[in-house]
Amino acid sequence: MRHTGSVAADSDDPLLALYLARRSNLVRFLAARAGSIAAAEDLIQELYIKLAGRERIEDVGNPTALLYRMALNLMLDRARGETRAAVRDTAWRQAVRTEIGGVDIAEEPPADEAAAAAQRMRALIAAVQDLPPQAGRAFRLHKLEGFSQAQTAQTMGLSVKAVEKHVAAALKALTLRLSP
Amino acid sequence: MSEAWIKVDDSRLASAADWIVRLQSADLSDAEVVEFDAWLEAHPANAAAYDRTLSVTLELQDAASVLSEGLAEAPVRRSPSLTARRGWLVAGGLAAAAAVALAVTPLGLFAPAAIQSFATAKGEHRTVNLADGSTIELNGGSRISVTLGRHERHVTMPQGEAVFDVAADKARPFLIDAGDRTVRVVGTRFDVRHRGDELSVTVERGVVEVRPSGGAAGKVFRLHPGQRLDTAQGAPAVQLSAADPLQVESWRTGRLIFRDEPLGDLVADLNQQFASQITLADPALAQTRVSGVMVLDDQAAVIRRLALLAPVKALPSVNGVLLRSDPAAKP
Repeated sequence: MRHTGSVAADSDDPLLALYLARRSNLVRFLAARAGSIAAAEDLIQELYIKLAGRERIEDVGNPTALLYRMALNLMLDRARGETRAAVRDTAWRQAVRTEIGGVDIAEEPPADEAAAAAQRMRALIAAVQDLPPQAGRAFRLHKLEGFSQAQTAQTMGLSVKAVEKHVAAALKALTLRLSP
Repeated sequence: MSEAWIKVDDSRLASAADWIVRLQSADLSDAEVVEFDAWLEAHPANAAAYDRTLSVTLELQDAASVLSEGLAEAPVRRSPSLTARRGWLVAGGLAAAAAVALAVTPLGLFAPAAIQSFATAKGEHRTVNLADGSTIELNGGSRISVTLGRHERHVTMPQGEAVFDVAADKARPFLIDAGDRTVRVVGTRFDVRHRGDELSVTVERGVVEVRPSGGAAGKVFRLHPGQRLDTAQGAPAVQLSAADPLQVESWRTGRLIFRDEPLGDLVADLNQQFASQITLADPALAQTRVSGVMVLDDQAAVIRRLALLAPVKALPSVNGVLLRSDPAAKP
């Protein structure tokens, strides 16, 4: 993933050069934070515009840390804490829309796509159900019910570190099972 | 980000999962981020493992609410390992049956109190009767989980609004976690509203304590009937004011009462009541003050009435209704 067109012009700007070398990594980072690859791509593109238009800073300390920090700040500026709520609300609405079908003008997917989606959802449910008990509980509270790591830890009577371990174990098991 | 052809081994997937959890945690440090970048650069297979884990994680996160409902409804499955063990035990005959009893009992004894989760869709109201005699009336778009323990009764409310009528039990305080505050009560009736980062608590009866939780900064407040506390996540400061509990809880009776409040707040409340969402065309409109009583029957009628109270015009939009300021209108 290289922006070949602009490399020549940017070669004298170390931060911009580092951005181009690390662009995919920055997207990977923000996708985890923002919960969406598309949103991350947009933000990282915006970061490029910001970097290209900025005043040159001569001593940037750790340029890698600075790049990631700038990317994160851009996301925080944009979201102002609303991202999570908005994502959850959208999910809510989608769930509601399927329920009230006829009342709302829900976009109905074609029958075969709907069947494939339903089958995939059954696979997701089964995979979560088959997680080891503690990992499953931590995953459900933190990832599905919207509890913070601290709230999950409190509810389960564990340390935050232990919750992180359980959630990571759950993610690994789910990836092995759900991603071919 | 498509290096899926690279073979990914187990330990890389474990590291990838660790990284995703760290990246999504609230206390991620700059040093960790630099370490993450170095890990990705260390080997292309690391990035491939990360992409694979990320894609499954995002799929699960996107499906969270549907998945959570599906899990609540799905019959309990026996995990594969348990099924296998059971097959072996049956083969073992009577002695094995005794072993089952021995193996199961300690789990029952030491199992923590069960967590019950309740959720309402937009516009749905639900009354939950708890085993201790307390009742919780949930407003639309709310999620709570309840644990009735031996030493305390615990409710976690990541999102929503509810009126709590707590059965008095001095030996078991009733705690509600909402963001970085804990609301603590003994026996009383009050409204807790946790939407986005904002929390407000209004007391109708009894005394309610609101304290910072999870290491958050701020003072402890004791609220008495008719008092209301407003605070935002991460802010140590709170605002105390007098409030009419019946006005605050008016969503229960299918009415919204508001006195000189910003249109933006009213719309946010209405959006908890109906599936189709109202958006405001410009931010200035959100600041317009409105007063009135809104009967929550059907959304089209509510929007018609809204246009009588505020200088707005309603237009259909992709996912609901767009309110635009209408200078011609005389509210």
